[in-house]
Amino acid sequence: MKIQNLAVIFIIIILPISLTLSSYTKSQMQTLNLQISYDSKLDNATYDALKAFQLNTKNSSTSDIANSKLRDIEASVNSFFNSLSSNFNMAGYNQSILKTFVPALVYTMYDGYYIYSPYTNDLTSLSDEEKSKLQSNTKATYHNGDRITGLKPYIHYSCRYVKGNIDVVITYSLDNYITVQGTVGGEAVYKYGYLLDNVQVNGEDVYYRDLEIESEALTQYADDDPMDNGEVPYVKINGIKYYQDKFNSDSSKRNDWYSILNGEKINSDMKYKTNNEAAKQYYKEANEFSNWVKVNLVNLTGDDAVDENGDHTLTQRFGNGKIFDFGDKNDAIEDFDSDFNQHRLAVIRYSIEKNLSIAIANYNNYSSVQTNFQMPDLREDEWTKIINNVSIISFMQGLNIGGKVYNGYSIITNTKNEEVVTDESIYLVDNEQFYKPTDNSLDNSTTYIGVLNIDFDRRIALNDGTDITKYFFPKKQLASYSSIVNQFGENNIENDTYKNNIYKYIDSKGGNIAKAYYTALGRERYSMYKSHTNTDRRTFGTERKYEDDGLRAAYNHL
Amino acid sequence: MGDSVITVVAIALAAVLMFVFPLMTMTDRTDDVSQLTVSTATTEFVDDVRTTGKLTTEKYEKFVETISSTGNTYDVEMELKVLDENPGKKTTQAQATKIGENVYYSWYTSQILDSIEGNKSVLALKEGDIFSASVKNTNSTIGQQLKNFFYSVTGNDTYSIAAEHAGIVTANGSAKQ
Repeated sequence: MKIQNLAVIFIIIILPISLTLSSYTKSQMQTLNLQISYDSKLDNATYDALKAFQLNTKNSSTSDIANSKLRDIEASVNSFFNSLSSNFNMAGYNQSILKTFVPALVYTMYDGYYIYSPYTNDLTSLSDEEKSKLQSNTKATYHNGDRITGLKPYIHYSCRYVKGNIDVVITYSLDNYITVQGTVGGEAVYKYGYLLDNVQVNGEDVYYRDLEIESEALTQYADDDPMDNGEVPYVKINGIKYYQDKFNSDSSKRNDWYSILNGEKINSDMKYKTNNEAAKQYYKEANEFSNWVKVNLVNLTGDDAVDENGDHTLTQRFGNGKIFDFGDKNDAIEDFDSDFNQHRLAVIRYSIEKNLSIAIANYNNYSSVQTNFQMPDLREDEWTKIINNVSIISFMQGLNIGGKVYNGYSIITNTKNEEVVTDESIYLVDNEQFYKPTDNSLDNSTTYIGVLNIDFDRRIALNDGTDITKYFFPKKQLASYSSIVNQFGENNIENDTYKNNIYKYIDSKGGNIAKAYYTALGRERYSMYKSHTNTDRRTFGTERKYEDDGLRAAYNHL
Repeated sequence: MGDSVITVVAIALAAVLMFVFPLMTMTDRTDDVSQLTVSTATTEFVDDVRTTGKLTTEKYEKFVETISSTGNTYDVEMELKVLDENPGKKTTQAQATKIGENVYYSWYTSQILDSIEGNKSVLALKEGDIFSASVKNTNSTIGQQLKNFFYSVTGNDTYSIAAEHAGIVTANGSAKQ
């Protein structure tokens, strides 16, 4: 055979092979590129959802209350889908189609979480008469057996423990606040509070980590201030701020207090103290509650946790160490690496993992998409992100991306919100600027005040009757260039001396820095919204006496 | 005479078709795979930084290692746009209807690398900053060389593998996680 013929045969063989190979590689590349771009789109949509939640809650004084929170979350879900569909419109997917690929959205909150996923509307608990009435009513929005996509009931981060004469359900939160419900020694208990070590109460004096916590005078702007009058005294009770009407044109009203709802002033018939004792009260009550836990629950271990059937099957998950490991300054229960915190994180993770995998697996019954919906395995560092802050987890599965089926998720955490006061939420301010507590330009010869991070963000001002929305900053200090705008002047606490423990760092600084930080941490935690706190003064001194007394001591003129 | 010319031409043609052509195809595929690795790594790197709010030496080195594993050398450029709300805050003091004029100022590769070198290995970003990275190969890959041999595409700025990704930082990073 001639060499030319060989060459022709060679080409006949090689050419198709190389063409097929190249188109195969191209399609694989396209698949992978598509996957990457979907990942980014999902990240962006989740961030948009979070931003919507952040904006809505920040500008509403009622955002903590359950039904208002539901509204904010639903709005956030909407912006998620809007953002997703505008990102995907290029590829021909619209909102309603995209919804079928999202098996679940999770909103982790302060003491529990919401799952947004489809469910079957169930009216079986109604009487037959009511049911038939609803079924026959064509105007009713929902009927029995309807498939609805929405927020499922709030699930608390809770766990039941049974040991000897103790049978309690403990609900954890994103910080060291817990709720205990059940029976201890045959008596029903319903207690809640913060767990803290290192508090000494001496009559009226309160010490935390050997620093005296004192009452403080708090001021900030309540509204856009064109006359440049200055800050007004305020108190924050159960998540709502009350301001003194100090600059009212009518001088007789200058002693009155008001709150703000939907851009309107709501006058309060109470008068509040201008020296705020919330921080003192926080430490006092935490001490009282911790002492109760020390006496009654100190022997509980991870072993005593039971599942929903009352069986001790969770030992492997939670270990058998003591849960409430009270200690001292070097090894305190509020430290990030304490046994209590490790156990708390394990409980939160277990609860989310379990309910979420059920929700996603259930999605197979609702979806017309031919794919098996499963919960992806989240990495360890992603769990740390989820359980330490308010966050949104979104899942998107089943989209065809060429060679395979897309299966992605995104986790976006929120460090600025009204929901939780973490140890990073407190900034220290002087007259000019605000700093992170770990800023190395802080020094103890200056007096600082601790302020919650969201008070430096822009808010919508009181409605002045025009259509123009005005904005103002509750605190006008500027961001420090060493620790807020950029963080080059921030001390790293991720080393052997501080072991990633902000308390150890603050302790080593001591003085004004520590005092301002601990006071603000206590004050903001005490003032945030909690469903247990009863601010209705008619019940002062009657029900729930202990807490109401605290509120009265902290805020009210008598 | 005529026959031997044809033979020489045929041999040359055969050599091109049997060796160079497959080689080109292969190297082209290799470049494709490198391109894929690089764009995946870049996107993952940027997304990781922007969702955690932290750029660490470890993350950067891992990224560089992944892209170098393709056998080429790369030029990595990063840019961090730091959001500064202070100017906007000052303006709104004068005019409450203004929605703030935020200013971004940029940090570039060498400044970013300086800040994650040495004993301070974490660069914390904050929510609202914008982080981007772009990667280009600096050597010429075999695929490029072969192509240049046949049809010249040389120039100052030729690269066959390039990727970039950017995004807004979604979390406040801190030294503690």
